[in-house]
Amino acid sequence: MNFKTFAAFVGPSVIMMILFIAFPLASVLKQSFYNTKPIYETVEVESCSPGFPDQICVTEKKSVPKLDDEGNIIETTEFVGLQSYSNVLELERAWNAVKTDGLIALQSIDFWKALRFTLTFTLITLPLVLAGGLGIALMINNATSAIKGPVIFLSLLPFIITPVIGALSINWLFRGDGILTAFIEWYLGRDVSLFAQAWTIELLMMLYRVWHVAPFAGIVFYAGLQTVNTDALESAVIDGASRWQRLKYVVIPHLTPLIVFVSMIHLMDSYRVFEEVVGFSSQGYVISLQWLTYDFLVPDQAGNRSVSRASASAMITMIGIAILLVPLLRRTWNDHKGGH
Amino acid sequence: MLKKLALAGALSVMTSGAWAACAYENTTPLKSLSAGFEAWKAVTDAMAECGNFQASLDQEFREKQPEAFAAKPALYQIGGVANSTMIPLLNAGTIRPLDDLVAKYGQHLAPNQLIKVDGKTYAIAMMVNLQHLMYREDILNDLGIEVPTTYAEMIEAAKKIKEAGVVDYPIGGTFKTGWNLGEEFINNYLGEGGEFFTDGNMPNINNEKGVAALEVMKALTEYMDPEYLVSDSTYVQQQFQQGKIAMANLWASRAAAMDDEAESQVVGKVVMAAAPMGSERPASSLWWDGVVFAANMTDEEAEAAFQVAMEGMDTEMVQANNDAAVWLIDGFTAGPLAKGAYETAQAGTAPYPGSGPMGIMHTVLGNGISDYLTGAKDAETTLSDIEAAYITAAKESGLVE
Amino acid sequence: MSSRALRQPLVLRITSATFLAVWCLVAAFPIFWIMVMSFKSPVDAFSSNPLNVIFGPSTRAGGNGLSLLDIIFGIIVIWATVRIATKKLPGMVEAYSPAGQKWVGWVIGGLALVLGFLVTFFAILPAILDVLNPMLGPLGRDIIGLTTEHYKTVWVERGFSNNFKNSMIVTTGVVVVSLTFGTLAGYGLARSGSRLAFAILITALIFRALPHSVLVAGYLPVFISSSEWLAPILGENAPTLYGKPFAVIAVLVAINQPFTIWMLRSFFQNIPAELDEAARVDGCSHFQAFRRVIMPVMWPGVITTGLFSFLLGYNDFLVTSLLLDAQNQTMVPAIAGMFSRETTTTDQVVAVAAAVSITAPLFFLVMLFQRQIVSGLTAGAVKG
Repeated sequence: MNFKTFAAFVGPSVIMMILFIAFPLASVLKQSFYNTKPIYETVEVESCSPGFPDQICVTEKKSVPKLDDEGNIIETTEFVGLQSYSNVLELERAWNAVKTDGLIALQSIDFWKALRFTLTFTLITLPLVLAGGLGIALMINNATSAIKGPVIFLSLLPFIITPVIGALSINWLFRGDGILTAFIEWYLGRDVSLFAQAWTIELLMMLYRVWHVAPFAGIVFYAGLQTVNTDALESAVIDGASRWQRLKYVVIPHLTPLIVFVSMIHLMDSYRVFEEVVGFSSQGYVISLQWLTYDFLVPDQAGNRSVSRASASAMITMIGIAILLVPLLRRTWNDHKGGH
Repeated sequence: MLKKLALAGALSVMTSGAWAACAYENTTPLKSLSAGFEAWKAVTDAMAECGNFQASLDQEFREKQPEAFAAKPALYQIGGVANSTMIPLLNAGTIRPLDDLVAKYGQHLAPNQLIKVDGKTYAIAMMVNLQHLMYREDILNDLGIEVPTTYAEMIEAAKKIKEAGVVDYPIGGTFKTGWNLGEEFINNYLGEGGEFFTDGNMPNINNEKGVAALEVMKALTEYMDPEYLVSDSTYVQQQFQQGKIAMANLWASRAAAMDDEAESQVVGKVVMAAAPMGSERPASSLWWDGVVFAANMTDEEAEAAFQVAMEGMDTEMVQANNDAAVWLIDGFTAGPLAKGAYETAQAGTAPYPGSGPMGIMHTVLGNGISDYLTGAKDAETTLSDIEAAYITAAKESGLVE
Repeated sequence: MSSRALRQPLVLRITSATFLAVWCLVAAFPIFWIMVMSFKSPVDAFSSNPLNVIFGPSTRAGGNGLSLLDIIFGIIVIWATVRIATKKLPGMVEAYSPAGQKWVGWVIGGLALVLGFLVTFFAILPAILDVLNPMLGPLGRDIIGLTTEHYKTVWVERGFSNNFKNSMIVTTGVVVVSLTFGTLAGYGLARSGSRLAFAILITALIFRALPHSVLVAGYLPVFISSSEWLAPILGENAPTLYGKPFAVIAVLVAINQPFTIWMLRSFFQNIPAELDEAARVDGCSHFQAFRRVIMPVMWPGVITTGLFSFLLGYNDFLVTSLLLDAQNQTMVPAIAGMFSRETTTTDQVVAVAAAVSITAPLFFLVMLFQRQIVSGLTAGAVKG
């Protein structure tokens, strides 16, 4: 295929990605090195608001941004280098904390707290999703063909459910005396508050993610199982291989490309864990990197937002994902070279 | 079933017929952007009766408003704001002074409704909201407890209630990490008479008053459902309705739900009183909600928009939605539900001190205080970490040198 | 794997079946439960006693309920509908629809069935039961509290049908555009072994790793002021992109492209290159080869990928809540809008009903397409 044809095929897709992903990405990268802010002046203002019985008026000094002749806010943009990155990482503070109180002291600094949780979350859910998915796939494969359809349908439900609704359902089912908490309380015979300490929230968040993603892994693996070479399996039986050995030496190697695929998708998605933090309102106990980025970015009620720090934090998140993906990408690269 | 449906249809036709009495017939296409709670729904519905009007009741209004009002022409002519959300619009100069319009079409407005900055009216307030004490009258009477007037008395009362075993968690609180938790601290700090900033927008919360405010909060949590860090006002209201708590310093706008027979199991048992006093002021802050008008529109549009808004905020609307809010508009009858709000306001409650620096302060407070409540940090460390976070953010926004 | 050598011992089969049953319960319970909640009064829905939630005493006290008779009749009607749909309908479609245009028959047949069901279930059945219930004594007494008022609130008062329409527009747009661009790109990438192709793939993968909130917040000011900066190019007709469904479709398509092209590329790689090479030898251009040879065999992979695009467009919250105005709001942000500063318990049950309403179409979609999903995946839509 010559370049022109290739460009014609790939063009529309690439243009969309350049317009809506690469441009914003470039601007995020740029913003992480620059800081744009209005120029403020201090003026004395009297402001009046409702009061009982009479209006309350106060005179105070306020910072007001300067406006130009056309009525737009005058802004200055300055190059700050790695300042925003260092504001996010707080390396000096982290180092001092570690020196005096050991690693655990990192928990008092937002970025490191978020990194700790994000990594734990990613690395614990990954094997659970893979194992859960494989389990579901094998069980469906084992089921009699009459119930396969309904079982696949039920299994897919957690995967298709709208994330926002999933998060809301958690609140409805677990918060306070929600039905599942009530069930756990009945089972343990004591009062349980799942949202009152960090570890229960963390556990719930992980279980929710596994519940949500394992079906996807399951269905992909199940599709893979349909193409397992039956001859190879049968000859393994004749060779006296146990069930476990067959799984280990025939089935899993066959599924390896799919396992890599699912791992890749899951690493990317779970490193960006965000919905769980909002859904479980876990900010008081644990936060994630993407939540941190979001928190910098979303304007407070007076309209201030920390765009530079948000950009730096987003870039750091991306670098983190890239590092996690390196081993998987190298595999893909080797396949690609081998394939052509 | 069908009969019921037909009846409901007939009723709705009748009510809308009554509503259609809008004195001003609007011919200019107008749009509004505001938050989506009940009072806004009532007001924008009434505005829509004048014709050619579309309301966006949007949860993301805070993020959209500054951009949409800065567009030329503005995407929305009318905006719904509160103390703090008016700041970005005011700073950017995207809302217009209303004095001439008030003189022309707003003679009937009460002086209390005119939000003035530097002598010019920039917004028309329609309602106020603040936190005040709600308590279960039956429980307090049974145990012979006086209505608490300070947090110390409230904790004392909570102790008795818990000992008597009436409810497990006598106190409710909107302590959800983030905006709610920040608001609780601000109320307490205002109650102690604290000032949030010194000159040059430098933070000023790491002091005795700040520590006192934190300590009160921690003492309250002893008597709360241990899941307090995820409990917002909707949740506290629900706990009240299900009879699980006995006292809370809760938003006035939540009062009506206590007597809603469809969802409450404690109808008629919850009474409103003034917010607990701090050392100087009630532990509460006074909020207003009102309308602003875009600067980037023609004067003709502005006239039309102002008249439509006045029709939406008229006596007729208030009478139809009396319990939806503590209205500032003429025609509001303060029932027993509004009693607590008035008492709190008259005790000298401070208005919420909305400003650019305060926006940042509220956010960092909301994120930082949970570390103290969970025991991860002591009070001084918590407050100094919050101040450090404030300075980083304020420097980035240019508010602090 | 039906061979005798692979037959499993009974113990293993029972264990496997038990685990499967447990898994199905875990998978389906939350959705089932919020569905039950949506039919109850606020007091029942949030009761901590599961029996109260199921039987709804306070809902029943409010005069809304189902008697044993109602339930039996209801089940009979549903069962009959399913029977007709699975047994009779296919035959009738075969018999009556014009040759070569069977899909018309399916559409008409399907619509007729749905309409018939709705009329029978919601109009005829209640009328009959209103007469029967009082005559039958204990059989006709309400045993389960059940109310549809929250659905009425959602769909009638809150105008959810408008949100539904908007969701359909956005989702259809996303699926169609995403697949059109995606199949072309996926095919191009699969048939080109160049370094450039690989670089595009890896870049796309890194794009997929971007936190969306950062991207989306960047769009808002640009979209709102678009009529100003587009004016030099488009003159007076320059549109304001903010609030327009097509702008949101473009953003969602772009965000979804990396995943789409990865899936479709690996699917096309599994279609032997000899097929289109043969066509090219016969004098076809690449595009003709694509249209004549590849398009007829690509549907399993496209349907599977399309389903993922559908899920993305339908379930999106971040992009739609920020970039659409209230008039074009889709369902998912609309449900978030039900949680405002003044949310009451009733509002929460209404939101539960809205949540069920949003999930229902997904439910049917998966029911219809689950076989295609599996076959598409099996045919190689994912291959690492």
